[in-house]
Amino acid sequence: MVSAARDNEFDVIIVGGGITGAGTARDCALRGLKVLLIERHDLATGATGRNHGLLHSGARYAVTDRESAEECIKENMILRKIARHCVEETEGLFLTLPEDDLGYQAKFVESCLAAGINAEIIDPKEALRMEPSANPDIIGAVKVPDGAVDPFRLTSANVIDAKLHGAKVLVYNEVTNLIKEGDTVKGVEVYDHITKQTANYYAPITVNAGGIWGQHIAELAGVKINMFPAKGALLIFGHRVNNVVLNRCRKPANADILVPGDTICLIGTTSSRIPFEECDNMFVTPDEVDVLLQEGEKLAPSLASTRILRAYAGVRPLVATDDDPSGRNISRGIVLLDHETRDGVKGFISITGGKLMTYRLMAEWAADLVCRKLNVQQSCITMSTPLPGSEKENIDEISHKTWAKPGTTHKATVGRHGARAVNIGLNDEYDASLVCECEEVSVGEVKYAINELDVHNLVDLRRRTRVGMGTCQGELCACRAAGMLADAHKCTDRAKDDLKNFVNERWKGMYPICWGDTLRESEYSQWIYSGVCGLEGGKCETNKAE
Amino acid sequence: MRFDTIIIGGGLAGLVCGIKLQKAGQKCAIISAGQSAMHFSSGAFDLLGRLPDGTEVKEPLKAISSLPAEHPYSIIGAEKVAEYAAQAKGFFADCGVKVTGDASRNSWRITPTGERKPSWLTIGDFTPLAAKEEKIGNKALIVNILGYLDFNTKFLADSFEKQGTECRIVALKLEEMERLRKNPSEMRSTNIARVMDREGIWETAVSQIRTLLKDEDVIVLPAVFGLKDGSVVEKISETLGKKTIFVATMPPSVPGIRTQMTLKAEFEKAGGRFFLGDTVIESKADENGIIKSISTVNFNDIRMEADNFVLATGSFFSKGLIATPEKVCEPVFGIDLTYREGRENWFNTNFWEKQNYISFGAKVDETLNASIAGKKIVNLYAIGSVIGGTNSLYEGCGGGTAIVTALAAADRILEKK
Repeated sequence: MVSAARDNEFDVIIVGGGITGAGTARDCALRGLKVLLIERHDLATGATGRNHGLLHSGARYAVTDRESAEECIKENMILRKIARHCVEETEGLFLTLPEDDLGYQAKFVESCLAAGINAEIIDPKEALRMEPSANPDIIGAVKVPDGAVDPFRLTSANVIDAKLHGAKVLVYNEVTNLIKEGDTVKGVEVYDHITKQTANYYAPITVNAGGIWGQHIAELAGVKINMFPAKGALLIFGHRVNNVVLNRCRKPANADILVPGDTICLIGTTSSRIPFEECDNMFVTPDEVDVLLQEGEKLAPSLASTRILRAYAGVRPLVATDDDPSGRNISRGIVLLDHETRDGVKGFISITGGKLMTYRLMAEWAADLVCRKLNVQQSCITMSTPLPGSEKENIDEISHKTWAKPGTTHKATVGRHGARAVNIGLNDEYDASLVCECEEVSVGEVKYAINELDVHNLVDLRRRTRVGMGTCQGELCACRAAGMLADAHKCTDRAKDDLKNFVNERWKGMYPICWGDTLRESEYSQWIYSGVCGLEGGKCETNKAE
Repeated sequence: MRFDTIIIGGGLAGLVCGIKLQKAGQKCAIISAGQSAMHFSSGAFDLLGRLPDGTEVKEPLKAISSLPAEHPYSIIGAEKVAEYAAQAKGFFADCGVKVTGDASRNSWRITPTGERKPSWLTIGDFTPLAAKEEKIGNKALIVNILGYLDFNTKFLADSFEKQGTECRIVALKLEEMERLRKNPSEMRSTNIARVMDREGIWETAVSQIRTLLKDEDVIVLPAVFGLKDGSVVEKISETLGKKTIFVATMPPSVPGIRTQMTLKAEFEKAGGRFFLGDTVIESKADENGIIKSISTVNFNDIRMEADNFVLATGSFFSKGLIATPEKVCEPVFGIDLTYREGRENWFNTNFWEKQNYISFGAKVDETLNASIAGKKIVNLYAIGSVIGGTNSLYEGCGGGTAIVTALAAADRILEKK
């Protein structure tokens, strides 16, 4: 709409490059707005990249939170269509173990059906045929339309589309202040961590999509949002034990979901309140690891003998309702705050709460409010417009068209980028060389990510391509990719520091579980990087996401 | 089956000990689970590069008296360490492994990322530097194999340029590599070396290099030549009439694997039995704690008996030590270890700081005997990285510890006769 005259003027500024911010940026851009998306780290570094990657059917919430359950199943069906290359249609099972109350099952199924979730009681034997890794002692099983979703890919696809529709995206740019005139927010003051410069950007509306960090953004506007950081720890296992999502059929509790994702599977989560100071540097405690293992083995006994790759934790942005500042009455639903009506601050809204699953709906609500305020009539089209990578009918055909030489690398690449994989050059022998064997990432894909997907360092690269996410946790691929980044950035010192940070970031997820094979792998890494290569002097950096 | 000495572990320490015993007339067996740390060798054995407090060591033999009492070198004694270190070069030469270097003064090796690290004995493929800042030449041609990513030309060029060497990077495209390239995960050092070892191939590579060469005075190549032959670097240098140096690659290490194979062949040539791909399950001892026999996975109920047993199983990676959430143990004999209880004491949250777990390992006495439940086992010896008391990565003493303790334990065993 407003064709702003200057290049630091926008229709809307969105603060936060998680899935909510990325989704909101895309929605606004599709409606013709001139959008600026600002993220202080990399995309998907907060709660977005630190969860199960579960495509919830909503069944988990059916008994306790009907509204969330209904939102989930609707969005579940939408994401299967618009984000096919980010979604894996695995199905899910809710298992009743001998120690659980089988009586809960009837109430569970009834609640699911009432919420529109197709839940079907099946014979435990049938369930074990569907998922042989499930605990053979189960006494009940319900099939639900759960699946897996890759949050990094989903965020990246939203950002790509926002950019295709004119949005400007700034990563490693931190909002240091809001520019206010009287009771109106006019824009943001931003510090660029890469160029070390500050800049001002202006828009009639600023959207706070900062997740748990959104409380701080709100404070900059002089607005109070009562948030409660709730830490959730997860464990990643070295291979895919299960192909079907496994849940416990009981009231939601610790470590009762096991989700397959790409080459691995994850068990989670725990739930504990943490102080705000810890949000930027979360660590997993031995007790959390113990609980996750103990409960996980009940869902799939073979987890007891499966190598644990790493431990990590995310923080849910839970919001206390306005009439209850004590935080007792906490909502897990979507919270959209119009600070003009709520607090008398114009030009500023917050979109928070919610879940990865409902990001699109959150974005729709936020974009609706932005459009209302800007008097824009365009309505939302994201429920039916495929994300970049998911447009084409048949992804297999793309794979065939893309390269002359067939191979598993192509499958892995198309799996990660969907139809966008056609943009990845694999023209010569060098492009086809493999950087990461565990995840089959080629030189061509790494080049594409560096050039097209806002990659500034190895950790960013991992989020876009899965380099270093496999069983070796970046043993050799990190060094290979560091060489390519040295080439791209024309700076080997920076690339070496980056390599040291990357190795440290991998270590952060390994030391909570440093025994058995994980310790063996760590010792090997020590030999390679400290011994053979003789690298030294890396530092621990906080704020580096999983 | 009966032997004079059974050595468990076929890495550097196990082989050195086995060769020395076998050549002295003993009947030895080595039981090896498979790969050893030599497969990802740095290209050199280090004796001592740094004291535990971080002080750089230039003259390793002089620095041994400054090491803490629990260090394996201190346990053996500085004089003895010097004696075994002096034997080592001749020992390797007799085995057909060419090494250069001197225990009285460290030389420097160039790492795959262009760092320079102190070293003692350097495998013949590599050219040790006398000083850390030594310039390799005025102009270097850094030559890679197209699509080979474990040789980081950019990092190397940058490090050479810091010493004033002008660098140019080129990549060879060899037809013979095309079959490897069909499966990109095959473009790794050992596979490339296998192709290079075929008749006439390295010569083809060399003639390509000749066409690429301008006025450079030194050629830098990845160490991907010579799985069987340790003199390829000299041949390339002669053919081109230019100084040629190999730089170690990321693992696997071609010179390391060749060295391991050479030592294994030497052991077998001397009459030793090398049981590859076997794992020891349990051991039996008499009432005095003397180990009598062991059983292995492959030999099942056929027990292996010996007068002496040598544990050369390495640390965690090679499963010489096993860590569970609760404790660290040695799985074959359950020998006493030095380690700190409580998982939180095993590691530092910064990967690049000293990690305590690396210094965990067997408690040994001055004869390198291990103990079980506080009792010395007179016919059980521990050698190499299964021994605790040193952070060999930080101190740069892993290779030296393996060689010196292996030679020392062999002497103790031979003295008994």
